[in-house]
Amino acid sequence: MKKWIMIALTFVFVSSAIGVGFAMEPTGNDRKGKYTYRKVYKACMARGEVNSETPPVSPIAKTQAEWIRVFEAKDFAEFGCAPEWEALTDEDLLDIFTYLHNYAADSPAPATCK
Amino acid sequence: MKLIKAIKWTIGLTLLLAVGMGYASEKAAEPVAEDTSWQFHDIVDMEFVAQHVKIPMDENVMLIDSRPRQTKYDSGHIPMAVSIPDTQFEKMTDRLPKDKNVLLIYYCEGLDCRLSHKSAKKAEALGYTNVKVFAEGYPKWISAKGHYPSVSVEWVKKQIDARTDMVLVDSRPRRTKYDAGHIPTAVSIPDSEFDKHIDLLPQDKDKLLVFYCEGFECKLSHKSAARAIEMGYTNVKVFSEGYPAWAAHLKSQGQAPVAVKAGKNEGSIDIAEFEKMVTENPESIYLVDVRDPDEFATGSFKTAVNIPVDELEKKLDKLPTDKPVVFVCGTGARSGEAYYMVQDLRPAMKNVYYLDAGLTLKKDGSFVLKKLPE
Repeated sequence: MKKWIMIALTFVFVSSAIGVGFAMEPTGNDRKGKYTYRKVYKACMARGEVNSETPPVSPIAKTQAEWIRVFEAKDFAEFGCAPEWEALTDEDLLDIFTYLHNYAADSPAPATCK
Repeated sequence: MKLIKAIKWTIGLTLLLAVGMGYASEKAAEPVAEDTSWQFHDIVDMEFVAQHVKIPMDENVMLIDSRPRQTKYDSGHIPMAVSIPDTQFEKMTDRLPKDKNVLLIYYCEGLDCRLSHKSAKKAEALGYTNVKVFAEGYPKWISAKGHYPSVSVEWVKKQIDARTDMVLVDSRPRRTKYDAGHIPTAVSIPDSEFDKHIDLLPQDKDKLLVFYCEGFECKLSHKSAARAIEMGYTNVKVFSEGYPAWAAHLKSQGQAPVAVKAGKNEGSIDIAEFEKMVTENPESIYLVDVRDPDEFATGSFKTAVNIPVDELEKKLDKLPTDKPVVFVCGTGARSGEAYYMVQDLRPAMKNVYYLDAGLTLKKDGSFVLKKLPE
């Protein structure tokens, strides 16, 4: 019994450690991220998928925890413009994530209109 | 009888005319001695000149371009040559060395050009004892394989202002020289790291490349230019006078180059430095307020221009290159975006910064700066 408890505890510990290891950290460049995020929609508008170059989801649309979940899952369906999102490098994604996270609804400096 | 007399006269006159014409044609066939009195007595060839074109030049040698400065020297001259146009000789004697035994080599625009000969004679009349003329001049020099023209500071400035399609390369060490101040639009390819940054050179081998370093004493730009020519680049020039001449030129125009102290984050300007600049010497930087017009109307720096970040892309080519450009807004968000837009869309423009700070501007131009939380 003891053995099974130990195995279970080890599993929980390792799982959480792995979880922490893969958690998104806002360590990118939020200034660059803002530019890259807007550039995605400029390109998308030029391609004709959207009518505005303003990104449809602003940083304050989510909390920091929600942004972490979106970027951990790499689920960008709600952002549209899939070809442009797919073309982004990991560094671009980290920069965009950092921007969105740092100006999230519950951040110390939630983004206003700009 | 009268007829015979007339025939005799005719024959006689014809013979006389024939003799006269023969003499005349004989005279015309004689080569007319060419007037070479305008030529200087001591002519040297390219081999002689080449052995004296060194970087740096020997103290006892001066290579002098006698052609007009604006139309000839500025756009291409033999490296290390100084410009003393023959027409300006009398006004520029102070440029000649004090030691009258220094070797002076004059050149101009080739065998038919008399300017170098005239100047050489004038120099000799001033007492210079070792004066030569490279009569074949600049056309001969530039036609040799591996030779490239040097250009003047005025030419470089003109190309930058005209946004000429060129790559201006700073061959000096990056950290100690380029970062401390460089010519606007220049990219840093230190000669010691030439191979490492080769990707910064254009793929088009006919594109204009201009190299510079730290002046007449500096070899780095010449070494890099030679390597570019070896790589197949066909339009290579060297701005031999380099950065010191650029700085002096700006100073003479009342625009001393401004060395901007960078802030902690990429592309940002040091906040204390910015405050000092806008207070003491606001004209030294080109300030762009990237907020919306309604925000700008509530107050901004007196020297700032308003280009909202959403309109900046269309106006990027309007940004000047003769002074640092600094983007400002209320929090550093839009100014940071503007900075990265320039990096992305006008990467050759290197002298660009943004203010990464909280900024409150008042109608009277006064302002409050706040450091942002880490």
